This record gives sequence, C-alpha cells and structure tokens, in this order.
Amino acid sequence: MSDQKNGTPSRGEVLKRLREAHGTTVERSQAMMKEQKQMQNAICQFIRETPKTVPEIAAEIGRPTHEVLWFVAALRKYGIVVEAGMCGDYPLYQRAKEVQV
Amino acid sequence: MSLDNLHVDALVVGGGIAGMQSALDLGDQGFQVALVECEPSIGGKMITLSKVFPTLDCCSCITTPKMSAVAHHPNIKLFTYCDVQSVQEADGGYRVNLVQKPRYVDASKCTGCRECEYACPITVPSPFDRGLGAYRTIRVPFSTAVPQVAVLDMDYCILCGKCEKVCAAKAVDFNQQPEPFEIQASTLVVASGFELTPLGAKKEYGGGKLRNVIDPLMMERFLAPTGPYGRVLRPGDGKEPTSIAYVQCAGSRDTTLGIEYCSRVCCMYAIKQAMLISGALPLAEITIYYMDIRTFGKGYEQFYQNAQAMGVEFIRGKVASIREDDDQNPVVKVELTEEGRTIERTHDLVVLSLGMVPVPGSNTALNLPLGSDKFIAIPAPNASPCATAHPGIFVTGAAMGPMDIVDSIVTASSAAAAASAYIREHKKEAVYA
Repeated sequence: MSDQKNGTPSRGEVLKRLREAHGTTVERSQAMMKEQKQMQNAICQFIRETPKTVPEIAAEIGRPTHEVLWFVAALRKYGIVVEAGMCGDYPLYQRAKEVQV
Repeated sequence: MSLDNLHVDALVVGGGIAGMQSALDLGDQGFQVALVECEPSIGGKMITLSKVFPTLDCCSCITTPKMSAVAHHPNIKLFTYCDVQSVQEADGGYRVNLVQKPRYVDASKCTGCRECEYACPITVPSPFDRGLGAYRTIRVPFSTAVPQVAVLDMDYCILCGKCEKVCAAKAVDFNQQPEPFEIQASTLVVASGFELTPLGAKKEYGGGKLRNVIDPLMMERFLAPTGPYGRVLRPGDGKEPTSIAYVQCAGSRDTTLGIEYCSRVCCMYAIKQAMLISGALPLAEITIYYMDIRTFGKGYEQFYQNAQAMGVEFIRGKVASIREDDDQNPVVKVELTEEGRTIERTHDLVVLSLGMVPVPGSNTALNLPLGSDKFIAIPAPNASPCATAHPGIFVTGAAMGPMDIVDSIVTASSAAAAASAYIREHKKEAVYA
C-alpha cells in the first residue's frame, strides 16, 4: 500500500518491485548462499578442534585448494577463522572461538 | 535524495591520485570544483597499493589524507558512485549529464559502522583485492573508504532484509533509483586513470588459467597490511612461496598484443615488490626476468642497485612460456638472450609485470581524440602537456599515457594550473563581452 500522504511506496511494494525486477539474480544468489553456507560449515567443522592447512581442508571436504583458500580468507576477514601457526610452508587455520589466547 | 543541478568552475572526472590532486589545487585557488568518481569511494588504484617507489613510503599514508582533504574541502563537491553519461558544449563551457547510481543506502544517514556487512549472508569476491579476497553484498568498500558509506550490490542481493534490521541509523533504502543530474562547468579535467593489460592477454604465460601466475596489483594486495590473506601466500593453495619470479614486459612492448609502448612503471614496481618480499619472506629467492631495466627517474637507478645488493636475481632473457607442474608450481621457459640458450626453472609463484592500458569505455561520453596508443591525445605535448584537442578540457595522470605516481601528481598540478588559467581567461572574456 502506498503512503498516501507523500506518495512514497511502502516497503512491501518496493521489495515486490525489486523481486520482480531482479528475480533471476535473487534466485541465483539464493543458490549461491546455500552453497556458501555448506562450504563454510564444512570448513569450520573440520578446523573446530585442530588447526589445519588449506590443502588438508581441501582434501577433507573434496574441494579445490584455491576455492578453499578464498573461503578461509573470507572467514578470517570476518573473524570466524584465525591463523594458528605454520605447518611447513602452509599457515594453519582454526575456528576462532576454539583458539587458546 | 535530490541532486540539484550545479554550476562549477571545474569538473574533475576521476577520483584517483591525479584527480584528487587537480581538485585540491583548483579548490585551494578558490575555484568551485566538482569531483566525480564512478566507484563508491575515491582513492583509485593508489589506495590499493602497499608502498611507493623509490622511497618505500606507505601508500595509504599518502593517499588517505588527500582523500580526506577532498571530502572536507569547502570548495570541492564530491560525487561518488556516479557515471558520466554525456558531455556537451554549452554557454561557453560544458554541460555534463551524470547518473547517481543507487547505493540502496542513504548516505546522509549511514555511519559506516559495518553492522549491515556483518549481518549480510552473501560473500562475494572483492575487486579491491583483485577477486582474491571477499566482502559481503552490502559493505563499506574498504576500511579507509571515502565516504565511509555502505553500498549494496543488487546483483547479489537476495532481499532478505537482514541489513535493514541491524541498521540502527535506518539508512538502508531499497527505494533508491538511478538519479540523473547535470553539472555545468567552465572547464573539465579528465583523470580517468588506467587498467592493467588483461592477465590472460598472453596465452603462453597462462595468466588467468594458472592459479599461481598473478598480476602485480594482486601482489600489491598481498604486501599490504590489509591484504586478503594478511601475508604473502600463493592463491592456488595457500602456500608461503619460497621462490618468486617476475616476468618483465609481459603486457607492454609487444606487437602481438597491439601494445608497442613501454609502460614505464613495470621495472620499478617489480623491483619495489621484490624488495618488499625480501622483507616479508627473508628466505625467499626472487628472480626478475627482463629484456631491459628502465630506471629513469630520480633515485631509481640507486633503487635498482639496492635490490641487486639485497640479493634479488636479475636474469636477462625473454620468457617464452609458463606451464604448471603437478604441484601447481609454475615452470618458466626462458630464452637467455645473451647466452643464446633456453632454460626451464620452477618457481612457487610468478608475477606477470603487466603494462598500463586505457580504462575501457572511459572516453565514451567525452569522445576526445585518442593517440596511436589509445590514450587521450595531447596535440602539443611540449607547449601544453595537459591540453586535449578540445579547448577547456584538460587531461592528467595515466589517462594521458603510462606514468608513475610522481608524474601523475606533477601532471595533476599542471592540469590544474592550465585549467585555472583557462577559467580566469574565460571569466575575463565574460566581463568584457
């Protein structure tokens, strides 16, 4: 319903219009979000107890190393994952709340 | 939001280091200036860099105060996230039609707290980190962005409303639409910058396909404290590289790419990055494969000699091809031009020293004549080094051709001086008419 006083469309009308205009991208992004959540959960689950390197995580969850690195970098940026030392030439990553300070 | 049509003395197109310098110089002289930037923040390429050559000063420490000065200058009106649609001559000046792209965030309300960013469930590649890092669908573009205002990318938004719920300032506004507006200006300064030669332009180097063959701006992000990994890692598998190679002239001086000119900065940025890597990874071996080393600026030759003294290996030769071994290591095949033989060497990471090309589409609205290098033409480079073929339109920085930061700032002040003289002359004519 429009706001009759100033002609501004209601929030519902605005979102409906955007859903119609961006239907394809909304659908695609919803699928992407689902996939991202699965990936993030799999990574976080595997490194909850013990820190792991990117190749170790990739081998465990069956995804390419470059893809895992991108997700780990994103999780690190938002404080969900932290670095926890090195294993040879590879940094170790761990779920943030599990890290002993 | 309502955008009033403005009359200004000068309109600067592009908010990189050159555009900001021109705007500040003109603003300081008392002229009314509008600065238009297509991205959500000013800062251009320079704000993404780690350090500058040859002083190794922090880039952010130089750029951020200028960004802030532009935003707070009483004579500069800043327009970010705006596209120039058309430019017409009118009333002795120029009428510029622009479009304010929707941020879906009310800039007057947003405090830049990033609560919306933390609440957003979708992660997307960040162009600020050359796609190697990530940010959310709604985000403040980077930590020192000016303005500190969030922007929502509708191409990835699922309209879940989580950003709206957490925004204490009630700044999220899904009702925003593209908003056309007009600026009348006596003179224009074009500072539209450059792009790198595409990473995959030279197929035999594997750029874009081989994960551990990267471009120099990616390495800049790795070396910056705010980089995607917080350290130098190779993007293929997160390994800390112990052997890094630079391939010079990978996107310049190459007739097969249609880029015959020297990009003038590649030797120096490769040497600078090699020195910074030596600091970040003291045990790493760094090799630079080159045809000629061109260190022409003040203090540049000394910089090159310092890099040699630090142990950076310079090998004269032309890289023929790069392939990958089973461990994702790039294997470089080099023709040693002085010895007349070919060798193969394996590295952990290869950086292609790509050249500078004009930003695609940056001249569409302006329609200025271009030179043979496809940068904006300067008809009289010795007499008027920043004047284009159109009276009252000046060009600065890498929009006029490949140049480093020092030269960009010099030409920015030069363009501002030329624009200032033009405006004064223009006003004098108006008084006597």
